[in-house]
Amino acid sequence: MPAGPRPAGILSAGILVLSNAHIILLLSTISTGLILGAIFALVAAGVTIVYGSIWMPNAANGQFFLLAALFGWTMTVSWGVHPAIAALLVIGLSVPLSYGLEYILVRRFYDVPNRNISYFVLSLGITQILTGIFASTYSRWSDQYQLPPLIKGVTFIGPFPIATNRLAVLAIAVVILAALFALLRFHKYGRALRAVFQNRDAAALRGVNVKAAYSLSFALGNAVIFAGGILFALAYSFDLSVAWTMSITAFAIMIIGGPGSVLGALVVGLVFGFTQAIVSNFASPTVAAFSYLGAMLLILLFKPSGLFAK
Amino acid sequence: MSIPTSKTQPQTSDILLQANGIMKRYGGVIALNGIDLVQRRGEMLGMIGPNGSGKTTFVNVISGHTKANGGAIHFDGVPMVRRKPYQIAQSGLVRTYQAVRVFGELSARDNIATAQVDARTAMDAFGVAELAEWLRISYRFDARAGSLTLFEQRQLELLMRLVQKPKLIMLDEPVGGLSSTEVRAMIALLAELKTRCTLFIIEHTMKVIRELADKVVVLMAGAKMAEGPPADILADKRVIERYLGTANA
Amino acid sequence: MTISPDAARPGQTWSSAKLPLAVFACAAIALPLVLSGNRYLAFVAGVTMIHVLWANGMNLLYGYTGLMPLMFAGLAGISAYFVVDLTALGWSFWAALPVGVLAASIAGTILGLPSLRLKGFYFTLCSLVIQTVITLGFVYFSSLTNGDTGFSQIPLPSLPGGAPLSGTAYELVLSALAVVSVIVLMAIVRSAFGRRLISIREDDTLAETLGINVTWYKLLAFFVGSVFAGIGGALYAPYIGFISPRSFDVLISMNIWLMVAFGGRGTIWGPVVGALLLAPLSFLLQDYYMFKDVFYGLLIIAVIVLMPAGIAGGFHRGAARQ
Repeated sequence: MPAGPRPAGILSAGILVLSNAHIILLLSTISTGLILGAIFALVAAGVTIVYGSIWMPNAANGQFFLLAALFGWTMTVSWGVHPAIAALLVIGLSVPLSYGLEYILVRRFYDVPNRNISYFVLSLGITQILTGIFASTYSRWSDQYQLPPLIKGVTFIGPFPIATNRLAVLAIAVVILAALFALLRFHKYGRALRAVFQNRDAAALRGVNVKAAYSLSFALGNAVIFAGGILFALAYSFDLSVAWTMSITAFAIMIIGGPGSVLGALVVGLVFGFTQAIVSNFASPTVAAFSYLGAMLLILLFKPSGLFAK
Repeated sequence: MSIPTSKTQPQTSDILLQANGIMKRYGGVIALNGIDLVQRRGEMLGMIGPNGSGKTTFVNVISGHTKANGGAIHFDGVPMVRRKPYQIAQSGLVRTYQAVRVFGELSARDNIATAQVDARTAMDAFGVAELAEWLRISYRFDARAGSLTLFEQRQLELLMRLVQKPKLIMLDEPVGGLSSTEVRAMIALLAELKTRCTLFIIEHTMKVIRELADKVVVLMAGAKMAEGPPADILADKRVIERYLGTANA
Repeated sequence: MTISPDAARPGQTWSSAKLPLAVFACAAIALPLVLSGNRYLAFVAGVTMIHVLWANGMNLLYGYTGLMPLMFAGLAGISAYFVVDLTALGWSFWAALPVGVLAASIAGTILGLPSLRLKGFYFTLCSLVIQTVITLGFVYFSSLTNGDTGFSQIPLPSLPGGAPLSGTAYELVLSALAVVSVIVLMAIVRSAFGRRLISIREDDTLAETLGINVTWYKLLAFFVGSVFAGIGGALYAPYIGFISPRSFDVLISMNIWLMVAFGGRGTIWGPVVGALLLAPLSFLLQDYYMFKDVFYGLLIIAVIVLMPAGIAGGFHRGAARQ
C-alpha cells in the first residue's frame, strides 16, 4: 500500500474526512462489487435464459463456468495462446458443446410436461460427471489457477490502484451484458425467444420455429455462462470450489430475480456482487453464502415468481 | 373479512348452503362482487353465466380451495369460511372439477378406496357395489382410471363423491365434452341423483338446466344478475341478450 | 431400469410378501455370518444394510409420497452428530440414539414444511438449498462438529455387560434393522396411511378435495422418513468410525435417491435391490472417486432418460407449469 497522509477519520467542523485508506477500501470494494456483479449477472442471465425458454434449470452451470475457466488456463498457460484469443476460443467452444448436449440429451424432453424436474436431476448428473472429470485431471495438477492478464499494468483511480486487466474484464463484461440485453429486446431473434418464454404455443402459431428457438437459447445461455467463466478466470485466481459456489449463487440470483427474467438476473446479480464485496471485508465467505441461501429460501417460499416477474 | 351479523344467520333448518356477500379479488380484478346465494336441501340449483363470470371461482371459494376476501358461508348451519378444503369435504360439501379429475394411474377400485379413506361416513362394500351397479361402472373397476372413456371417468368421479355420503355435491360442467347421447345419459343419471342428494350444477348446456334445475342463478362479471325458476330465467330478456344469445341451448 | 410393480398396494394382504421377505431376511442375516472371515467384505455388507434402511426412507418420501427430499443425507448427519456429541459427553450410545433420531425427525418435519407450498422442481430445489445450508452448518459450527476435519475414532456402542458392539454382531444389528425397515415400509404401504400418501403423490389437490388432510400426512411422511434417516445416521457414525460434513452432503442424498429411482420408485423391493447393487459399488469405488463420480453421473442420466415420461411421469399429471 502506498504511504500517504496519515489515516484519520476526523469529524471536523461537522464534516467527516475520509482518509486515503478509506477511499482505497471504498473504491476497492466498489470495483470488486462491479466486477463480481457483472460476472454473476452474466452467469445468472445464462441460467435464466435457458430456464425461461426450455424450462431447464441447469444445476451444472457452475461446472460449465469452471470448465471455461480451466480451458482458458490450459490454452493460455499450457499452450501459450494470448488471453484475448483464448477467451474468444473458449466462448466459441461452448457452441458445439451446447448443440452436442442438446442433441444427445436435452432435446428428448422438449415435450414432456414436467420436464423442469427431469432436467434439474439430469443437470445434477452432469454436475457429478464433470466433478469427477475435474477431480481426475485439473485437481491433480494444481490447487490454484491463475491466468495471464489481458492487459498488463496498473491504472490509478485517484489514490486507488487497480489492475488494468480487471478494468478490461469489467468493460468486456458490461459490453456483453449490454449486447445480450439489446439482443433480447430489439433483435428479431431476441423477440422470438421472448415470445417462446411467454407462451410456446402462441409463439408457434405466430410462425416462430420453437425448436430452433430452443436450440438457440440453450447455446446462447451456455455461451454467456462460458463468457462469465473465462472473464472471471482472467480477473481472479481460482480453485475448483468455485464451481459449486457459482451454481448456488446463480440459482439464488435466478430465483430471486425471477426465473426467465434477464433484467432480474442483471439487477440481482449486481446486488450479490456488491454484497459479496462488502461482506468479504468483515466476514468469511460462508456468511455470504448463508445469506444468499437464506434469501433464496425466503423468495421460494413467499414469492416464487421472483422480484422481477414478468 | 366481514364478520357475519345476526341478519345472515340461517333462519330455517332446511337451508343447506348459505353464502352472503362473497367477495374475491385477484390483484386489481374483482372476480366475485358480493354474491348472495341460498340453496335448500333437495333443491337443485343451476348456476349459469358466460366464461369468466366467476362461476368456478365461486365453487372454489365455497369448497375452500380459494380464500374469499369477504363474505360469510354457512353450510347446514355451520360457518365454513376459515376451513380448509379437506374439512369442508368432511362436512359433507363435495365438488368436482371442470376438467374431469381422477387418479389416472390408479385403478378405478383404488380411486374409490381413496375416496373412502377419509370420508365423513363409512360406506360398506355392499353400499359401494350397489352404487357402482346403479352408475353402471362396476365392470370397469380394475381398469386404470386414465384408460376409461370421458363418460366413464365422470361416472367414476360421481361414485367417488357418493361413497362419502355427501349432503351437497357441486358439479362443475358435468356434461362438458360429452356426446349428445352421453349428455342425455348424464341428465337421466343426475335426475335420479337429485332424489338422493342435493346438487349444485354449473353448466353451459341449457338442456341440463332446463330439465333438472329447480332454481337458476345467473352470474355476470362476478355479480348475481338474476335468480329464479328455469322457465323464467331462460325466458328473461336480459339473460338472453347478454348470455344465452351466445350459449348453446 | 424399473422392476415391474410388485404386489404391495394399499389393502393388499401379506401373503404375497411372505416369500420375498423371508428370502431377504435369511439373506440379510446370513450375509454377515458367511462373510465373517473377511472383515472387508463384511464391512461392505454392513454399509449396504445401512443404505437399504436409507433407501426405504427415501422411497417412502419419493416413491410413495412423490417428493424428492435432497436434504435426506443432512438429516442423517444431524442424528449422527448428535449421537457423537452426546457419547463424547459420556452418554451411552443407546440413550443418545433416540435423541439423535428425534432431532433428525423434528428437523425433517420442519424442513418438510416447504413441500406444502412448493411442487415438483421448486420443492426439490428448496431441499437442495436446505441440504447445502445443513452442510455449511456442519462446517461452520465447528465447536459442535469439528468442522471440515470431522470426528474420527468414534467409540463403538457397548452391549449390556460392557463388551463393545463390533464386527459381526454390529453387522447383524444392521441387517436386522434393514429387514425391519422393509417390514415397516410394507406395513405403511398396505395401510390407509399408504393410500393417502399415494393419492398425495398422484394429485394432492384432488386428495384434499376428497377429505384427506394433505398437510398433516405430508408432514407425517417427512417425520417417518426422517426417522429412517436418523437411525441410519446414528448407526453409521460408530460403524464407519469417522464422520465429516462430506459424509452427509448432497452427493450422498443424490446417491440414495438414485438407489430408489434406479431400483424402481413406488415399489418395495426395487429400492432394496437398488441399494444392494449401488451401495457396495459406491464403497468399492471409493478409492477411484473420479470414476465413481462419472459412473454415478452417467447412471443418473440413464435413469432419467429411460424413465417413462421423465421422473414426474405418473406423478402430478395435472400440475400446471409454475
